[in-house]
Amino acid sequence: MLGQIARFTNKLIADHSAHPREIAFAAQDDIIVADGNPELARLAGELLSRLSCLGMAVARPALPFADFLVARTPRDESHIVPRDTETRTFLHDIPFLRRGALGDDPAAKIARLLGNRKGIIVEGTGIVASGALTVEQAYINWSSIFHSAFVKYLQDVLHGGFLLPGEAEAFDAFRRGWLRPLTAEGLVFREGPLTDPGEILDEIAAVGRYTVERGLVDSFFGNISCKSGGVIYISQTAASLDALDGCIDPVPTDNSSTFGITASSELLAHRRIYEQSGASTILHGHPKFAVVMSMECAERNCTVTDCWKDCDRVRFLGDTPVVAGEIGAGGLAKRVPPVIAGPRKAVVYGHGVFTVGERGFGDAFRSMVEVENWCRDAYFRALEGKLAKG
Amino acid sequence: MVSSVKTLGWTETVLRVDLSARKSWRDAIPRDLLHAYLGGRGLGVRFMRDHFRLNPFDAEIPLIFSVGPLCGTPAPTAARLTVVTRSPLTGTIYDCSAGGRFAWRLKGAGLDAVVVTGRSAVPVALVISPDGAEIVEVPQLWGRTVPDTVSALSGRGSVAAIGPAGEKGVLFANIMMGEGNSVGRGGLGAVMGAKNLKAVVASGDRQTGIADPQRFDVARQDVMRLFRASPIIFGELGISEYGTPALVDLMRQRRMVPTENFRRTVFEASGNYSGPAIRRDYNARKDGCYGCPIQCKKSTPEGEPLPEYETVSHFGALNGIASLASIVRSNTLCNELGLDTISAAATLSAWGEARGRFPTADEVPGLLRDTAMRVGEGELLALGSCRVAERLGRPELSMSVKGLELPAYDPRGAYGMALAYCTSNRGGCHLRAYPISHEILRKPVPTDRFSFSGKARIIAIAEDTNAAVDSLVACKFSFFGATLEEYAELLAATTGVDYSPQSLKEIGRRICLTERFYNCTNGFGMKDDLLPERFFAEPGSSGEGIEIPPVDRTRFAEELQKYYRIRGLTTEGTFDDPDFLLNQP
Ligand code: SF4
Ligand SMILES: [Zn+2]
Repeated sequence: MLGQIARFTNKLIADHSAHPREIAFAAQDDIIVADGNPELARLAGELLSRLSCLGMAVARPALPFADFLVARTPRDESHIVPRDTETRTFLHDIPFLRRGALGDDPAAKIARLLGNRKGIIVEGTGIVASGALTVEQAYINWSSIFHSAFVKYLQDVLHGGFLLPGEAEAFDAFRRGWLRPLTAEGLVFREGPLTDPGEILDEIAAVGRYTVERGLVDSFFGNISCKSGGVIYISQTAASLDALDGCIDPVPTDNSSTFGITASSELLAHRRIYEQSGASTILHGHPKFAVVMSMECAERNCTVTDCWKDCDRVRFLGDTPVVAGEIGAGGLAKRVPPVIAGPRKAVVYGHGVFTVGERGFGDAFRSMVEVENWCRDAYFRALEGKLAKG
Repeated sequence: MVSSVKTLGWTETVLRVDLSARKSWRDAIPRDLLHAYLGGRGLGVRFMRDHFRLNPFDAEIPLIFSVGPLCGTPAPTAARLTVVTRSPLTGTIYDCSAGGRFAWRLKGAGLDAVVVTGRSAVPVALVISPDGAEIVEVPQLWGRTVPDTVSALSGRGSVAAIGPAGEKGVLFANIMMGEGNSVGRGGLGAVMGAKNLKAVVASGDRQTGIADPQRFDVARQDVMRLFRASPIIFGELGISEYGTPALVDLMRQRRMVPTENFRRTVFEASGNYSGPAIRRDYNARKDGCYGCPIQCKKSTPEGEPLPEYETVSHFGALNGIASLASIVRSNTLCNELGLDTISAAATLSAWGEARGRFPTADEVPGLLRDTAMRVGEGELLALGSCRVAERLGRPELSMSVKGLELPAYDPRGAYGMALAYCTSNRGGCHLRAYPISHEILRKPVPTDRFSFSGKARIIAIAEDTNAAVDSLVACKFSFFGATLEEYAELLAATTGVDYSPQSLKEIGRRICLTERFYNCTNGFGMKDDLLPERFFAEPGSSGEGIEIPPVDRTRFAEELQKYYRIRGLTTEGTFDDPDFLLNQP
């Protein structure tokens, strides 16, 4: 258990999502173990003793966005509703506790709220997330909330500007200090076409790692595949992009076997993209600025209310098409393949980016970097325009 | 007492039936009991409190049919019920959940539960409508198959019936729902047969009220979105497309297919009865429990139910039979005779190994008929693998825990499963904690199948979760996508009472501990929480880079002790507090 705790603490540090000195995890088997920042570790342990779950993550995000979101929310509201698909599909909304509401026994208050949900925001403390079965699950839930809060804050600032003292400065620090330039430079990709199964598995695992190491995506969400002969080699469902060794299913394209039942929920999308694009590799991730910008829609008088599901237009971010469609059997498998064949890249509303490669993964990776960089620039241009107008 | 007003979630009413006295009456169920036990399994187990010591064939043992607060609402997979009593096969408290229109019709008759006690002198059917209940003599149906019985009674409502196996007291006789769903394992059909109760028919059509329809609708959409996002449920290789036989190829690839009575873990011919093979050979179409959007069952275009994963694997690999046609025939026969397919196939397999030869495809139908009628070899086979192996002087050949035959996941291929088979309160069952979900199917997150680390806690939490699910009553397969979070919302929206995932797990824990207490009172303890020796002594079939060693005895024992500590039990797996029940609602 302590090994697991160390592993996921390091992940939170490596992806810059949490303050290195304010991370704690707890886990319980027949006894509770907790490690990390002493005060947070005590809280994590206390929470675990009150809840039926195995793992607990308590950490202060490296960015103050979650606290800002709480402070920006009207006093009578108790949760935020980010618009990304992560929230929509898995979290639904994110409850929070205000600093002043913690009372004498914060652990009891937090446990009561957390007993309802996968994770919550505690103002002044950080994100608190549980994992019913594993420490990893607590990490995943923590990361999802971090991701969703990030996306929502960027959207809110774009539309509402800065409202609180210190916000503009913190945002500036985020932009100049936290954000790193995104690039594929220095990465080595196999040329392709990839035909040897062993080589394919190695390359998929390596490229999955690159996406996380370069800060292109969060580790947990995304999928990756390579088609060779009659087989699609695809990452498994609930697999972390930076830990794909042993988590890739070779799925026959003719559906003659069902052991790929554990493959990514986007298997159908990948299959159809291969059919319609003739590509050899597919990369899918949730780079944050692309997610934010995919929801900036200029249409006026549109009658669609459920944009994630029902929007049938093809919009553009630069030269990248944007379509709607929910995860898995929910629709993106229908809408992405027709639009990706030409430009070799596509964005899904509120969700993420698909790119394809002709022979190996190099072009797919570079293309995803370009899309995200374009969206990042577009975001800051739009924000500057907004702030200049006041 | 019985109001005609639309109720919210619960009807707060139980129908009590005394077959000896030939009378029935409706009673109110105290609201706090419903809040504390929900319905389904929880309520049934609670109702057994004063009766759990009775012999399962004692006339006074209650046979309980209970639905849950979500039954009758559009909550996905919630048209289900649970049957609870004490099992004649295992001697443990026993519950089994089944889907179908029957559950919905029972709820529609204004009932949360039916408790049947006593024994009729002649074969009867219990006919339940919103206005009352009738005990009807049906001597002409005694001896008839399940489909015959169902068609004879279907004019009066939805039917739950036993076949010849239940009448004859086969220890693994099922109760069958009219549409082909079975109340399986454990021999609840034999308990019904001992009461001379051939069938229960329900014909209610009252609506279940929903306290907050808007909140309900949001939660329902959340569940459906999660179903669509789950490759296991609606993925192109998932159970909606191929049914549970979608697992055949996966288990083959993971090298954990119980083969020839668990002597090996790979069956070379399993591709003959994989999901795609069944679809191809039988033109399988989607089918399933009433009102369920997943429709994981498959049937032929003529409506003949096709076998599920456990059935194909045990009538196939476990007996070394490669013919899909033979497997389908066995499945149909079991359904007609009212036999549990897992226990039937596993009993044949243990018997086969003991006599040195597994039954051939041609022999199986005759043996199944003999078992249901208890004639010839069937006299012995009707007792289940444990008693068969004992009587043949080879007790070690029964691949069962607490007398319940293990299903088609070899414990050497998934250590959480190994532990969960043993901690299960109804014996060797995969569904209590369902670790296959995370150890193999990676839902909600993957765990290492070859490690015991953390498994005791995971199993305890999953047992609690599933006990709550079985009390709602929802289908386990929903949880390949959804979580207790969305179901707690559905429940709160339906009943107007606040529930959270945490409070549901606490209810589940209460149910699991109550069951364990009943079992311990009846003499169960650590000695019964044990896998057959084979799994500790013999390896499975290693290959293709996957090692399948025997289960590590020491680690298993350590993890079992951890489980006991987590459950607050003694090192013997029993209760320190003799008054445990008195402190429960
Ligand atoms: S998933 Fe299958 S077993 Fe479960 S309720 Fe639906 S049809 Fe029935
Ligand atoms: Zn995605």
